[in-house]
Amino acid sequence: MFYSPVITNAAEVASHKDLHLFKYVEDPKQHEIGTYQAHGGYKAWKKVLNGMTADQVTEEVKKSGLRGRGGAGFPTGMKWGFVPKASPKPRYLCCNADESEPGTCKDRVLMERDPHGVIEGMAIAAYAIGCHLMFIYIRGEFNHCRERMEQAMNEAYQHGHLGKNIHGSGYDLEMIVHTGGGAYICGEETALLNSVEGERGMSRMRPPFPAIEGLYACPTIVNNVESLASVPHIINRGADWYGSLGTEKSKGTKIFSLSGHVKRPGNYEVEMGFNLKKLIYDPAYGNGMLEDKKLKGVIPGGASTPFLTPDMIDVGLDYESLQTVGSMLGSGAVIVFNEDACIVWVIKKLIHFFRHESCGKCTPCREGTSWLEQMINRIESGEGQPGDIEKIEDVCGNILGRTICPLGDAAVMPIQSAIKHWRDEWQYHIDQKQCMVKTNFDFK
Amino acid sequence: MAEATKKDMPTETAENMVTLTINGRETTVPKGTTVLQAAKELGVHIPTFCWHPKLKPVGACRMCYVEVEKMPKLQVSCALEVMDGMVVHTDSDTVKQGRKAIIEFILLNHPLDCPTCDKGGECDLQNLTFAHGVDDSRFEFQKYRFVDEGMTTTFDDRRIGPEIILNRNRCILCYKCVRANKEAFGEYDLGVYERGSIAEINAAPGEQVDNPFSGNLVEICPVGALTNSDWRYKIRVWLTSTTPSICNYTSSGINTLFFKENHHNKIYRVTSRPSDDIDDGWLPDVTRYGYQIVNSPDRLTTPLVKKEGKQVEATWEEALEIIGKRFGEIKERLGGVCVGALVSPGLDNASLHAASRLMRVGFKSNNIDFRGDYRYLPESSESPFMRLCSRPFKIADIDDSDVIVTFGSDLIREHANEYLRIRKAFNFGNARIFAVNPYQTKSADVSSLELVYLPGTEESVVNGICLAAIEDNLVDAKRGEKFKLKTPTKSSAEAAKVSGVDRESLRTVAEALAEGKKITFFTGEIITRSRQRDLIASALINLHRLFGLKGRAQMSALARYANSKGAEKLGLLPNPRTVVVDKLRGLWGEYPESPARNTDAMMALIKKEEIKGFLILGSNPVMLYPDREFVKEGIEKLDFLVVADLFETETTELADVVLPLASWAEYEGYYVNLEGRTQKAARAVKPIGQAKPGYEIASLIGEALDPEMFQNEQQIHSEVRQLLELDSVIAYPDDFLEVKADTDGSQGDYNLPLYIIDDWHHSGHLTEKAPSLANFASEPYIEIPPQLASELKIAHGDSVRVESEVGKVILPARISEHTQNNVVLVPRNFSSSNVTSLLMRKKRVDRVKISKVDE
Repeated sequence: MFYSPVITNAAEVASHKDLHLFKYVEDPKQHEIGTYQAHGGYKAWKKVLNGMTADQVTEEVKKSGLRGRGGAGFPTGMKWGFVPKASPKPRYLCCNADESEPGTCKDRVLMERDPHGVIEGMAIAAYAIGCHLMFIYIRGEFNHCRERMEQAMNEAYQHGHLGKNIHGSGYDLEMIVHTGGGAYICGEETALLNSVEGERGMSRMRPPFPAIEGLYACPTIVNNVESLASVPHIINRGADWYGSLGTEKSKGTKIFSLSGHVKRPGNYEVEMGFNLKKLIYDPAYGNGMLEDKKLKGVIPGGASTPFLTPDMIDVGLDYESLQTVGSMLGSGAVIVFNEDACIVWVIKKLIHFFRHESCGKCTPCREGTSWLEQMINRIESGEGQPGDIEKIEDVCGNILGRTICPLGDAAVMPIQSAIKHWRDEWQYHIDQKQCMVKTNFDFK
Repeated sequence: MAEATKKDMPTETAENMVTLTINGRETTVPKGTTVLQAAKELGVHIPTFCWHPKLKPVGACRMCYVEVEKMPKLQVSCALEVMDGMVVHTDSDTVKQGRKAIIEFILLNHPLDCPTCDKGGECDLQNLTFAHGVDDSRFEFQKYRFVDEGMTTTFDDRRIGPEIILNRNRCILCYKCVRANKEAFGEYDLGVYERGSIAEINAAPGEQVDNPFSGNLVEICPVGALTNSDWRYKIRVWLTSTTPSICNYTSSGINTLFFKENHHNKIYRVTSRPSDDIDDGWLPDVTRYGYQIVNSPDRLTTPLVKKEGKQVEATWEEALEIIGKRFGEIKERLGGVCVGALVSPGLDNASLHAASRLMRVGFKSNNIDFRGDYRYLPESSESPFMRLCSRPFKIADIDDSDVIVTFGSDLIREHANEYLRIRKAFNFGNARIFAVNPYQTKSADVSSLELVYLPGTEESVVNGICLAAIEDNLVDAKRGEKFKLKTPTKSSAEAAKVSGVDRESLRTVAEALAEGKKITFFTGEIITRSRQRDLIASALINLHRLFGLKGRAQMSALARYANSKGAEKLGLLPNPRTVVVDKLRGLWGEYPESPARNTDAMMALIKKEEIKGFLILGSNPVMLYPDREFVKEGIEKLDFLVVADLFETETTELADVVLPLASWAEYEGYYVNLEGRTQKAARAVKPIGQAKPGYEIASLIGEALDPEMFQNEQQIHSEVRQLLELDSVIAYPDDFLEVKADTDGSQGDYNLPLYIIDDWHHSGHLTEKAPSLANFASEPYIEIPPQLASELKIAHGDSVRVESEVGKVILPARISEHTQNNVVLVPRNFSSSNVTSLLMRKKRVDRVKISKVDE
């Protein structure tokens, strides 16, 4: 079977006492249930079924300090606790596997190489919220992931980990693998729910939050693949162990997808708070800049997060530290640019993506992203006019914080920070009608 | 658009109230109210595009920004619920800047074609740009243009339905049309396609936007993206003035607004005049486009009199002279009892009452009826069915009912407005909704359970529900015993077998009726048109008694026409209720003692040549009475027939004198809707040609007979008022009624039940003259269930021979979606369909056989 040729630090993880998500991802048979179980798989699930109440599970996850790995970093256990206990309606769990943030490719590795870990995590989460039907919503382009997940799901059913009266506990749980149609916006949880319902993938107004009124107007929890994959480990090894990893407020480990102008791009599982500079330059990870060129900037958390300049990269990769330097942890996609990258060109690529993926529901995002793209394209092609930068900043201000969902913010935050850090380069583009840097890279 | 009223908000109790400050003014509103609604209550205007008072908020346009203290971002007030202590600013600099930015965004790709856009002058975008926008654009690029393949211009006009034209370039994507279509009307023929800045509204692939509520989409469009051929390019809105009116095609009394131009004496369109108690601001298409008959070039403009077998134009004087002479002769020679009258329930109170006085005082005859399209009408006004009709009913009470049962009603086709109310209850409430019909109906899409019974077994269905309740101890056992004494049906199982409805379903309804705290239960035309309506009504009265529905249910047989209820209350029946008769005797000093005849009896007497003279005001019995041979043979035998109508019809053809009748738009009239609410339709335009309103015609005929019979308008109005004040509710009897199930087996070769319906876009016999409605449907057809169609190898559009014992017609086929029960439907609204020639008045269920016509 086809493997995504992604470099991981599985060897390091395997010998490490605390890293866990990538422990077996290089094992070519890990996706099969026999191997997974031989590696201790479904132990946590049985433990939960045979001796823990739903509240105990939620408490354990709360105590562990696990926070959402999809980007927002909301405490996972607390989210589960929002499901109204008295509601007579059915509850649903949706695993958000619509991984489409440019630069992010961690969930894909987990689903392809360790699908049972995802299912086990989902099952435990479902149990914690009293859900009997759970979904995994896989990005439309992830054909291979879908095949792997479906195969794993069938195996889990055959081994009695899913279905009716699981392992004699009286607990029923069904699972559905659902694929998207190829829209970035469906990674936003309310748009994802609309999509599962068969509606257009457009985000909904909040409140009501999905935990109160989500899928089919019933309480629904939407969690990222990586968050859920961490859950079995928390159950197995305890919240205290998990809480001992990472920083004070960002617990556990996190997978970072390193890409761009580095020698060894790949997925690396590290402890929260890991130094960004080390991630880029350490031979075990990025192994330094490609062709040893100078670093220009880093996007630390996926295309939607503000840039960091070289003087800012001596920073811990966790929710709080990145905030102090004006950016975000996001989904953990670290994109590195060297001195040859024209920032206008980079932004042109980004805004093209966001304009293309705007769902069209709310005015600022729908109209604003298309206007921004036209203005940025104009500058990039050497036809920029004086005042364009100010206009772009003004339009960004009219989008930021004024849209239904975070896509609008995601589109403008990198632009704002690119202008902030490299304003002279933008001005040069307008005045001289060409790039300030010598060559353009052509990302393939 | 309708203002949000207190009614839409949660109920007010002290602990449910929230106090907040808006622009420095404190206000207390119920929990769950949105900031927008609270501001509206205070008279603070917040601009919106995508918000609609009757739809769920989506917060898409972002125009309704407000600033809330302690909230860092601007908030959209349409979706923001009030919280205690909230401090809201709707006019701060940040808010103003936010709105300005939204207007700028919307205008980026919006064409500046206001001078040629029909919305100009009443366009939300135009108005809000003036109020909140800037007068210059910072956008320096080519506006995005939707251009169809093969089109050489950027002019984007596409007809997405028989009436609706879409211009995608003007669309600002507020999604109101798509949301209303789905949420309020349950229709999916319009959708959003593509995404982002090139997202577009469009008809669903391969479909047309032709649902019976599609006109509303045009009305709620905030810009000129959706227009209709009715209004498009005809006139600018500022050249028109408005007149409030009432729908003349439905019994709900939907409030409407005429847009007219006085110089041309012409109406240009109808829009809603939102009334939360009645229509929520939604109009069925028949209400919206039906006005076009007023402008029709086919209208009768002068009286016609028959000379040497041909109708020729005449003056009113000539016509009235002939009428006075001929009616006078009959009255003199044979007595007034040999004259009869049939009036339309679409006429206003004054016309109905003037006709009643003409017959009862002028002719001293009791031969008058308003029900020209029903067979075997009840003789007495206190028959079980008439009692059911008289029961109080409130449309707005449907909203918060917890159990809703519609019985024998193809809802959208006859009570479209009530369907929308039920849909509202479905969207916003927790009602258990049941549809009980002899065939599957579209309106059952909101039902939790649809019961499809075998045609002609209505009373068995009702008995089955009652018996299931008794058997399962859902009702008082003693009452159950009494019920059983009057009902020969042994058990619910037996009723289930007869009616073809499974017992479980009967029990489910029984359970809901037993538990419901606020029940709405009404019957429609399938019951009203049934020969056995009294038997069915008896069963329903028993059900009411058995379940003890008194005080927790509104149960009624709904009136069908604009003023059916008024006609009932004014005594336009052969045997009005005693209170009405006493009142009339008091008003007039006399009341005829002669025997009273309903429509059937009058027709029979005409055949026997006992009734010689006849007056028809606005009715078309030849087309609509369910036995064409019977009526036609009768009417042909008359010595003298006077017919007043808007158009030449099958009935006017047979008349000796034809009088041009004014339409409801052409004079001021009052109409009583199905709730008993009297509403005014003001005069929008002058009557066309020499047309006259009904009351004037009745008055003139009276005067022609006897100068003293002149009725002045004020006197008519005062008498009407006194009659309407009478309590019209008839109490239910004190005991259970005898209900012996009637049988109606198949009839040899003719065993396919046929129901006569109204087309989705038509009502009665006049609407085919409205061009817009004819665009939706102008030809008769027969609707055949798919399984029967495939059995007979009939495809959509094939010619089908429809034969009954008495008649034969050929109609094009439409394949319906009903799969339960083999039942065929034929609309009655097209004069060319001749459909009533298939019917026999003695039948309970009309049955036919059909076959494909081989080319």
